[in-house]
Amino acid sequence: MNYILHLLIMIGIYLVLSYGLNLVVGFGGLLSLCYAVFYGIGAYASTLLMVKVGISFIPAVLLGIVIAAIFAFLIGVPALRFRGDSFVLVTLGIQMIVFTILYNWVDLTRGPYGIPGIPRPVVAGYEITSLYEYLILVGVILLFSLSVLFILYNAPFGLALKALRDDEMAAEGLGKSPVHMFLYAFVISAVFASTAGSLYAAYVTYIDPTSFTLDESIFLLAILLVGGAGNRIGPFVGTVFMILLPEALRFLGLPDTVAPNVRQMIYGLTLIVLMFLRPQGLAGEYRVK
Amino acid sequence: MMEGLKIKRVSKTLNGIRIVDDVTATFLPGRITALIGPNGAGKTTLFHLITGELKADSGEIVYKGDDISKLKPYIIARRGVGRLFQDVRVFDNLTVFDNVASACFDQEVESPWYPFVKCSHLKRKIREIKDVIYSYLNFVGLSDMDNIYAGALSYGQQKLLAIARLLAGGYSLLLLDEPTAGLNPVMIKKVLEILERIVEEDKGKTIILVEHNMSAVTEVADWVYFMNEGKIAFFGRTDHVLGDKEVREIYLGM
Amino acid sequence: MTLLLQLLHNALVNAAIYSLLAVGFGLVYRSMRFFHIAFGAVYIVSTYMVIAATVNFGLPLPPSIAIGLLIASVTGWIMDRTVYFPLENAGATPGVLFIASLGIYILFVNLIALLFGNEVKILLKGIEPSFSIGSLIFTRMQFIQFAVGWIVVLFFWIGIRKNTLIKGIWAMGETPVLVRVLGLPYKRMRTVVFTLSSALAGTASILTALDVGIDPHVGMQALLTGAVAVIVGGVDVFWGWIGGALILAVLQSIAVWQFSARWNDLITFGILIATLLLRPQGLFSPKKRREER
Repeated sequence: MNYILHLLIMIGIYLVLSYGLNLVVGFGGLLSLCYAVFYGIGAYASTLLMVKVGISFIPAVLLGIVIAAIFAFLIGVPALRFRGDSFVLVTLGIQMIVFTILYNWVDLTRGPYGIPGIPRPVVAGYEITSLYEYLILVGVILLFSLSVLFILYNAPFGLALKALRDDEMAAEGLGKSPVHMFLYAFVISAVFASTAGSLYAAYVTYIDPTSFTLDESIFLLAILLVGGAGNRIGPFVGTVFMILLPEALRFLGLPDTVAPNVRQMIYGLTLIVLMFLRPQGLAGEYRVK
Repeated sequence: MMEGLKIKRVSKTLNGIRIVDDVTATFLPGRITALIGPNGAGKTTLFHLITGELKADSGEIVYKGDDISKLKPYIIARRGVGRLFQDVRVFDNLTVFDNVASACFDQEVESPWYPFVKCSHLKRKIREIKDVIYSYLNFVGLSDMDNIYAGALSYGQQKLLAIARLLAGGYSLLLLDEPTAGLNPVMIKKVLEILERIVEEDKGKTIILVEHNMSAVTEVADWVYFMNEGKIAFFGRTDHVLGDKEVREIYLGM
Repeated sequence: MTLLLQLLHNALVNAAIYSLLAVGFGLVYRSMRFFHIAFGAVYIVSTYMVIAATVNFGLPLPPSIAIGLLIASVTGWIMDRTVYFPLENAGATPGVLFIASLGIYILFVNLIALLFGNEVKILLKGIEPSFSIGSLIFTRMQFIQFAVGWIVVLFFWIGIRKNTLIKGIWAMGETPVLVRVLGLPYKRMRTVVFTLSSALAGTASILTALDVGIDPHVGMQALLTGAVAVIVGGVDVFWGWIGGALILAVLQSIAVWQFSARWNDLITFGILIATLLLRPQGLFSPKKRREER
């Protein structure tokens, strides 16, 4: 039972991530390889605020969101001048740089040693300790995130993003500012990544930089590529597929020593096969340009 | 007040070639002015310069009294300059309905916080706009295809959709790059009727038409600019320009 | 002064390896115009095949190296024939090719990790003999890396100027349509591009692994080094790639001397982003970027 609860919590955290990233990848059509940066900034910011400054969970999460949003703005302004290959490369470069800083700025982040003993979240004077309680916390935040995001998906904001994604020149000719709209999407998606990061840190009570690598960014992008982006169902399909696949392998009796590699091989193979059969992902509607 | 669009001594060089060469022209509201000339004369580039996709090397483009030549494309669009692209450019992965809807919202409504702070306004606005969108779709005969992705339409249908999108945007200056190319005669007639109706109903609207179809030009345009090698070679009433011996030689090959 | 010389010497050795990576990556990137991430997979395949030949089959090193290079080349060719070429024929966009390539990369890295384990493998045991000229110290392996790297680059440069097929490949990057219109042997050109690129990846990989060993995850670093060198130097200038490799190597060795090797990525990707922002056509490309639309 604990195992199932753990899986549900992880799926909840990744749903917040993938639905947030959907705004940039699915609606904006921009393949970002630095989403784990904002996930990591959220985790580190809220953790450090709790551990070093001593403020409580909720304000720490909110401050983490503000910090991630500021970083997203500072990163987005130069990065969003690019499209296509160049955008992928710039975001990849940012991912590598931020990881290097997280890993080597030992005074602040303790680098490779990580930060253990993160205090359990206290919400309205109630300390969250059991898996059930964590699941409820994640569920509430997920519901809140999805209701905000779904409103945005359906609003003229989402429509304008999709128009810019399909044909930037034509959309600009209809009065839509690519710079502003993409920057909004970039910052808003970072807000949700940061929230997910704070939740993750509070759940596992230990973080180190290896959770926020380029591989993690690739994994998050792969969730959307596999599931499909640009609508409300794709991220769900992708998240469930990518999180449950390794567990399915475990039930097949694969030894733990080879399971991670086999899992990754299946991810790789899935991406290749999808590009042949369904470039828009299992349940998506938008094809990568 | 007869303002319209004034192009003053505009030039543009691209890759060492002077594509638009010291062009001066005035396009008055309440009428359709045609811009004709052989391929490579600089007509489409002139449109790019007006919409801000390209920046002029020199000269001024004045619309409603302001120089718009240094503004970004989306700001120029918000000032009322709309454009029909030669290569159509509908949003392939949006439905026909959403394509037209994408032209209907202004900057404020498209901001991410609008649905949260002005929820009831938005709901009302969407209801109102729905009728407007269907009226434009009816206009071009696409209302029963509202849920189809625009990428799945035929070229002619995409062109009609692009026209509906442009009309829904409510622009006061319409730049039309070959609106009749690729359409069948019935549709051509329909499009030309629409254009004539626009300027008749609202005398504040200006239409500039780039067109190779001379019968279409004769039918709707009163005035014609003839461009050749980046320059305005002739300007005058349609019958006068099309009757000119030199124009016929350069352009019509007669 | 000695320190400076030693730094410069290290930089030139690294630059030789980086140039191999840059030419290998640039060859595909320029002629096919898509981002061949699986280049990083070919990179590790070659050395692991050398390891398989020496350790598992007990062959001596020289034939094992030949086998490793051969298998790497064939692997690159198979990737093209089974994935890229069919996808391109089906009208795939560069984005789709990029993602498929990412899939191949993930597949191969984990296949290798599954077969050989995740830990670092050493190709040569024992301490490398070292020489000194004056106060300059270098190892035998550094000398080999330096010599092989620069000779291969030189040969490639001659190839671009003399060999019609390579000349055609170079022209293909500018006007892809031309190849089909002129009836150039498109399939054969692709074969040459992917086998050559893979052989270059293999050469760089084996030369590096002989010195410091290999683990399955270094392919990404190698790919990124090559890609950054090409983009920083300028995609359309052959000597730009080499220049990019040199700049990377020099700045990295200065960083190692001043700070620590741990900050290398900061230098590499800082240069990449700065170049894309300030001079998107690359440092050595004379052409001004064309109007965006």
